[in-house]
Amino acid sequence: MTYRAATVAGLTTNIFFGLLRASVLLALLNAQRVNGWDSNDAVTYVVLTQAIMMFVSIFGWTDLMNAVYRGEIATDLLRPMGLFGFWFAQDVGRALAALLLRGVTILVISSLLFHIKIPSSVAQFLALLLSMLLALTISFAIRFIYNLSAFWSPDARGFARFVSVIGTFASGFLMPLRFFPDWMQQILNFTPFPHIMNTIIEIYVGSISGNQVLEALLVQTLWAALLVVLAQIILSRASKRLVILGG
Amino acid sequence: MIQVQNLSKHFSVRNPQKGNFSLLKNFVSRDSRILKAVDDVSFKVNRGEIVGYLGPNGAGKSTTIKMLTGLLVPTSGHLEVNGFVPWKSRQAYVSRIGAVFGQRSTLWWDLPVIESLELLQFIYKIPSATFKQNLEHFTKILGLDEFLNSPARSLSLGQRMRADLCAALLHNPDLLFLDEPTIGLDVVAKERIREFILHINATQETTVVLTTHDLADVQKLCKRAMIIDHGKLLFDGALETLQTRFGGLRQLVVDFALPYADLEVEGANLVSRDGNRAVYAFSREQLSASELIRRLSERFSIQDISVLEPDIEATIRLIYEQNLLGAT
Repeated sequence: MTYRAATVAGLTTNIFFGLLRASVLLALLNAQRVNGWDSNDAVTYVVLTQAIMMFVSIFGWTDLMNAVYRGEIATDLLRPMGLFGFWFAQDVGRALAALLLRGVTILVISSLLFHIKIPSSVAQFLALLLSMLLALTISFAIRFIYNLSAFWSPDARGFARFVSVIGTFASGFLMPLRFFPDWMQQILNFTPFPHIMNTIIEIYVGSISGNQVLEALLVQTLWAALLVVLAQIILSRASKRLVILGG
Repeated sequence: MIQVQNLSKHFSVRNPQKGNFSLLKNFVSRDSRILKAVDDVSFKVNRGEIVGYLGPNGAGKSTTIKMLTGLLVPTSGHLEVNGFVPWKSRQAYVSRIGAVFGQRSTLWWDLPVIESLELLQFIYKIPSATFKQNLEHFTKILGLDEFLNSPARSLSLGQRMRADLCAALLHNPDLLFLDEPTIGLDVVAKERIREFILHINATQETTVVLTTHDLADVQKLCKRAMIIDHGKLLFDGALETLQTRFGGLRQLVVDFALPYADLEVEGANLVSRDGNRAVYAFSREQLSASELIRRLSERFSIQDISVLEPDIEATIRLIYEQNLLGAT
């Protein structure tokens, strides 16, 4: 494998920051329960977010934007296929590789260092998988949409970075959403961001169960459908104003 | 096959603001002008033709090709290819055409060539029998065997271009667009690619639209040429007509064995001389190269000799500057 060194380097960084974040959170909690979570939940939260952050590209993604700026998008448009499906297929491949190579390794290594919760039933595990698939769809649709802004602006990287930063905060990656004040959680619930990460966490840790899980999955499905349709609408507008640069 | 009527593509270009605070002025300025990349162009291409589409850099070649391939929406005019309006039904249309852009690759950077090709089989929904037959056939003619299992990133330019040609033709397209397919290649590689294009055109009646800066490409492949400059179509007709009518003058470079005083010869102009080297210009209709050489060798002792054909860029420049075709 050509990119072995890159994977190992990324993994090392992942684990280092995971340890750092876990220590900070443990120091803050100081063996108390906060909003229903104990220190065990908190450590599991950190390990899980570290394991899936590359899976859902929490720090953003600008490949499509770069393809537009470099004119490579022309090659894609010369093939009989839809742009959304084509890029989504590639992203699913990338996400699965990230999950298997990095995510699983992080979970295994971390479980040697800490006591980490694991899903206790088959139903919970299936709900987790479904939730992760929906999270990836939502994450991709959002990234696809802000990448399409490249068709309107000669430099949309700033916009992409802005959305990504909001995403790291609003998805519950920087801090568990349940540690936030109620009013802020309510505001965030009107956005799709919590469904990129927070829903997965809640299901995995087991803070929600039964009907609450079904409800969460339903809302996640609705967001996924809405964003995919929105992406298609914006895409059809974008391709009408395409300017291929160079060549 | 291709029908183009009064096709235009205009871009709005911002005028750069000069002077103090130009950065700020650029930011708020709405001052723009219209760039006519393609201006009122009409032509037809029939099935099975190989057409050379020529013009200097920035003439509007690529813009036309991009409209023909459905990548750009025309500003005005009518465009129909193979019964499709390219930009309106992009997906259905592009499944019937092939395209090779010399500067870009359709292969996936990290994948072995064969896997890219298999992926294309899936994308174009090529029946496996057709795929297998074409792959075998193209592999043999283009000599793809040696690098079929190497990732695209490790290919040389010539190998990449051959693989790209194969990729563009696997689905038996009716129409093939080639944008500078031989750019940067050595003579042998160029020759191989030209042979292949001729072969495909002859066996499958594939229509080919070719842009190039290489006159040899045009001479080898095309019977018909179209010349565009500043967005306007200047010439559309047989290649021979172009060369005999506007071919400009050929040049003969001669190295003499001795320093002669008078080098004038009948039928040719002495353009320059530098020591024992002299350059003559002569026109194709009035004098053949062999006749000129005969006349020279009768009078002088000659060491070395070479004939320079007028290149296509010079021909086009000549046509444009002198407005040889009238105000079209």
